[in-house]
Amino acid sequence: MLVLAGMACKKPTENIKVVVDTDIIKYTAMITVTDAQTGNAAPANATITVLGENAQHIYELSGKKDIKLVQGMVTIGLHPNIVPSAQSPIRTTVEIAASGYTTQRREIIFTAEKKQQLVPIGISRVGNTQPPIVVPPPPVYQEVSLNFTGRCPNRADVEIRPSVYVSFRKSGSTAPFQYLGYMDKGHISTNLLALNESYDFQIVYGGESYQVSQRIEQSSYQLTIDMNEACNF
Amino acid sequence: MICCPLVVLAQSTGNPQNTIYTKAVQLNIGTQGIGAAFNYGFTDKFTARAGINVIPIKANDVFKISGLNSSSHVSANFYNLHLLADYALFNGVDWFRIVGGFAYFIKAKGDVRIIPSDDYQYGDLTLTEEQIGYVDLKVDWKGLAPYLGIGLLRSFPKRKFNVNMDLGTYYLHRPKANIIGTGILSGNSSQTPQFQSNIKDYRWFPIVQVNFNYKF
Repeated sequence: MLVLAGMACKKPTENIKVVVDTDIIKYTAMITVTDAQTGNAAPANATITVLGENAQHIYELSGKKDIKLVQGMVTIGLHPNIVPSAQSPIRTTVEIAASGYTTQRREIIFTAEKKQQLVPIGISRVGNTQPPIVVPPPPVYQEVSLNFTGRCPNRADVEIRPSVYVSFRKSGSTAPFQYLGYMDKGHISTNLLALNESYDFQIVYGGESYQVSQRIEQSSYQLTIDMNEACNF
Repeated sequence: MICCPLVVLAQSTGNPQNTIYTKAVQLNIGTQGIGAAFNYGFTDKFTARAGINVIPIKANDVFKISGLNSSSHVSANFYNLHLLADYALFNGVDWFRIVGGFAYFIKAKGDVRIIPSDDYQYGDLTLTEEQIGYVDLKVDWKGLAPYLGIGLLRSFPKRKFNVNMDLGTYYLHRPKANIIGTGILSGNSSQTPQFQSNIKDYRWFPIVQVNFNYKF
């Protein structure tokens, strides 16, 4: 092979990128914290604390022990060596605290059958007794396929294939991001996007949020999104 | 090129006074590995050779991918059956011959396994070797390959033993390239089209070979 290599101009590895997956943590839960009465994202000072005997096994999706909310969102999951079984689900509790809001706790259960789950948590201002706002489900459209590639700004030779939760909203809107779905190895199919509309897509990973925009005019798109926090190796 | 031996044979048979029917066995070593052949001299200018060559090579850490600290295991396995014809172009010059023919590469594989050598930190987690995985780059040139070259020194010994040499090249079958990854590197199969494009011109297989001949 080395002899053959000497007879051709192009290096065999020319323009080949190293593709790295982020699906290390298999059992995950995306927590979205909102103001229960307005539906807006939790205040910037809102904090999340993981409690209970299994807290030691809980990590942020990027593998960090430091778990914090970004625009009211964070994805947590089990250490890759901890696997729930049908007989032994893994239970943990998260506590959401924010200045001026009533602290709230929520139990999250990781089961063998459900590798991904969405955990919406509404927090109310202290003394507020109004019922929580009900956010209607987003309208349904035709199926659109999105393929995301994570880019490392400082490493052109590396590509990230993200497995993360994706949120979306119409471009130019100030409405809070809504849950779109779980992107598995860079791919997500959804029927929540209208034709001829532009959308901002957001992922929260490693304590940072990353966004990319796209106008939807066809059934499939390749999108590139910066993912600096996935490039630290 | 493949027709060359037949043309030469046709010409040779028309000149019966040069018929010699010399026979020899050959052991050889060179860039196509080690091998053996049976040589049959139809005339003093024309000889046919049928033989087999094999390369079983394994090597470590001769291959790197930019951006990845890694160790590598390289293996090359080339097994061919070949039929070559030697023709001495000039009367009285038996040390220089044109050689043409073809080989069928029963096996013609080059495999590289790249294993990240650093501890991979994923956030605060240290991944195991299994979680990190590896990347295999595979190339296969199996198939028919024409050969053209020159032969230096006499085809057959004057007495029992001699040594001669081949310089030439095979033009291999268009290679099939493939990348397979495991663990967090399993997405690297997406790089197969680029690898295939990079490797598509790797078809010239130069031959430098020393032959040891024993005449019956």
